[in-house]
Amino acid sequence: MDIISFICSPGVLCQVLVGLSRTVILFIVASGLSLILGVLRIPNIAHGSLYMIGAFMAFTVSKVFGGGITGYWMAVLLAPIIVAALSFIAERAIFCRLYEREHIMLFLLTFAFALIFGDLVKLVWGAEYRTVSMPRFFQGSIPIFGLPFPIYNFFLLIMGPLVAIVLWLIVNKTKMGKISRAAAVDREMVGAVGINVSLVFATVFVIGCYLAGLGGALVAPIVNVTLGMDHTLIIEAFLIVIMGGLGNIWGALLGALIFGLSQSLGILIWPQFGIIFPYAAVIVVLSFRPTGLLRSTW
Amino acid sequence: MGARKSIVALVIILAILAIAPLGLPRFYTYLIALIVTTGLLSTSLNFVLGFGGIYQFHHAVFYGAGAYGAAIMISKLGYSGWLGFVVGPLVAAALSFVIGLICVRLSKLYYGMLQISLGSLVWAIVYRWYGFTGGDDGIHGIPMPELVGSPLGAYYFTLIVGGLSLLVMHRILNSPFGSTLQGIRDNAVRSQAVGVNVRRHQLAAVVIAGFFGGVAGVLFVVVDNSVFPDMMFWTLSLEITIMALLGGWLTFLGPMLGAAVTVSLRTFVSGFTDYWTLILGILLVLVILFLPEGLLGYVFEVWKRRTSESAEE
Amino acid sequence: MLQVRNLHKSFGGFKAVNGANLEVADGEIVAVIGPNGAGKTTLFNLITGILSPDGGQVIFKGEDITGLPAHRTCKKGITRSFQVVNIFSRLTVFENVRIAVLSQQGKTFNLFTPSKRLVTDETASILKSVGLIKKKDSVCGALSHGDQKVLEIAIALGGKPQLLILDEPTAGMSPEETARCIDLIKALRNSMGLTILFCEHDMEIVFGIANRIMVMVRGATIIQGVCDEVRCNQAVQDAYLGGSDVCSV
Repeated sequence: MDIISFICSPGVLCQVLVGLSRTVILFIVASGLSLILGVLRIPNIAHGSLYMIGAFMAFTVSKVFGGGITGYWMAVLLAPIIVAALSFIAERAIFCRLYEREHIMLFLLTFAFALIFGDLVKLVWGAEYRTVSMPRFFQGSIPIFGLPFPIYNFFLLIMGPLVAIVLWLIVNKTKMGKISRAAAVDREMVGAVGINVSLVFATVFVIGCYLAGLGGALVAPIVNVTLGMDHTLIIEAFLIVIMGGLGNIWGALLGALIFGLSQSLGILIWPQFGIIFPYAAVIVVLSFRPTGLLRSTW
Repeated sequence: MGARKSIVALVIILAILAIAPLGLPRFYTYLIALIVTTGLLSTSLNFVLGFGGIYQFHHAVFYGAGAYGAAIMISKLGYSGWLGFVVGPLVAAALSFVIGLICVRLSKLYYGMLQISLGSLVWAIVYRWYGFTGGDDGIHGIPMPELVGSPLGAYYFTLIVGGLSLLVMHRILNSPFGSTLQGIRDNAVRSQAVGVNVRRHQLAAVVIAGFFGGVAGVLFVVVDNSVFPDMMFWTLSLEITIMALLGGWLTFLGPMLGAAVTVSLRTFVSGFTDYWTLILGILLVLVILFLPEGLLGYVFEVWKRRTSESAEE
Repeated sequence: MLQVRNLHKSFGGFKAVNGANLEVADGEIVAVIGPNGAGKTTLFNLITGILSPDGGQVIFKGEDITGLPAHRTCKKGITRSFQVVNIFSRLTVFENVRIAVLSQQGKTFNLFTPSKRLVTDETASILKSVGLIKKKDSVCGALSHGDQKVLEIAIALGGKPQLLILDEPTAGMSPEETARCIDLIKALRNSMGLTILFCEHDMEIVFGIANRIMVMVRGATIIQGVCDEVRCNQAVQDAYLGGSDVCSV
């Protein structure tokens, strides 16, 4: 009885919501990862690094446009596009040569890019951490459950489902989306009917990386933008994708939800080892649904 | 691939390394010991990756488990070093059994991803459990038994244990178990159809690989007298995969060669620049694109082509 | 020796096997025929345990082995060759068969004896019986397609089976290779006492060596009987032989 009223108290619920709003970022990045996993069938280890580049790029773009609200929106607009462009170059230059090769090679290639991008960030921005100041528009809070809830986090809570819906529309309602879903299931058949499979892969890859960059740009105002933010993020994104079902966008949303909830609850109940709760959640989910909660495209 | 040739080469190399300290400054004995340790780790990874076709993407967990097992036994629980050295690999083997049991029934890539996740869980626990594992500081200044306490003692211990481990792994790979494992790599369905219980063999292989990964971890403790959580971080797992690939993942001694090249290069390059990871990344791209069979694999290919050409003449 | 009763298997909405029945007696050669997509390979997969059935029974030597996984049915005495060549591509011919023999003898967990020293004689005798002994050290990729199909059979023999299932053993073979393969199949039954179940598209082979024939159409068994019975059966003629009156031959 005590625990339930504790969990349902406004303070705790508020904290959980804050945790969830941060998990929205994870969802956005994970959805990109899931997309690439579903169609190209590779876990893109470089996804974390692209997220990091998105954050650093947001910092730079924001500065270029003088900070403030203009700087912020330009950053959110441009940083993911730059990340997408970078991934496009990488894909055309090197990736696409490997689609016919052994699977594991492609996976190791993404790791190579993770290494390269990681150091590239160090090269361009240096080793100190950066901060992107929160534009005044987003400062302050609104009352939820009678307690102040940061506006920016509220904004994130809206962005999450928005991105999910837009992504769902792209994947299910556009021609490109339908082709890529077909290519996920039977690459050879799609090629046999005359569609340039390589181009389909390129598009999916770029969109997935765009999402990673978007996540980075959106998270920039609320964290310290540092080297190494890629390392922990990619593991969390993996967990979400595994829990939700590989290649399933709604699975990524569900997985992110469970991740966020279990992490918030974990930190409340057992602060030192709160970080373990999401892992425990993954193990629980996998023990009765070995391929993830929702249907995976594999 | 000439099983006997690998043994002969190994013995010769070990012999050379055995007399090396007489001529080299102390730094190099440390470096060579590190190379042997890392090479053993990479070879144990390749036991399941190259010879078993199992996507063991977080092998470093077992390295760390072996090292932490020994370190905690000695530092925190006060047992003798020798007992710690035995417990370490056993802990690693037990961990690989548990993780293997969970992962082995899944498809290849799922296995790899889940292993990364479970391995990260172990890392997270070690990282946070300040009281027991030293948390993010790790454990330093671990006391060693007299015989291996000195740098030279540690060096020879590493050579002996490393060499023996390699010999044992080589023997296993040439046994019926090894043949079966390679059969499973090439064609799991066919293996099943000839009566092989694929899951059970894969689990056994994973445990063996984990055991020797743990041995490598113990060797690191002997050489460096410390442990830290980074030994279990997933980036190390992928680094040793790179070593296996670089050296030649379809050969037995390839990973050893890859480790030698990588560790030497890292030591050398880090003296000049901070961007070793960038160079490693570029190196990996080049290997994937142009030398996917690895250095040793390439040498064998050329040699095979030469001998078949001369046979035709 | 083998009874298959009313076997069913669906994939999604598609009924691949829809009521298959089969009887194979000791020492017989039984052929399964049917148009493409009739479910013959799926039937073999269900019997050997690569797939598990949704319904029905598979009884082997009086024991119910329905749904038993592939590695267990092999140990019970049923081995098979595959329609699409399915061998250990990186290993030599000799190694390929050796693995099968090692598995049959239960030696696969032997960690310390060099496998070179083991089961060499048994492996060699199998290769001799199929005529591949001269090529024993070739890597499989270098073999001709016909030789690879024969290797398929050799690997299946490594399991010392009582029932040998061959999935289109002569598919893609040249006429000489086909003739040799037919002789091999006959020799396997006559000298080694094997019971053989196979499927084929070449009617000459089927009517030439089979004792009984089972006809499958769209996943279901229409009839099983001796050659003349099947040849003259109206349903078979309509569904498969194009309705022509083969009986008048």
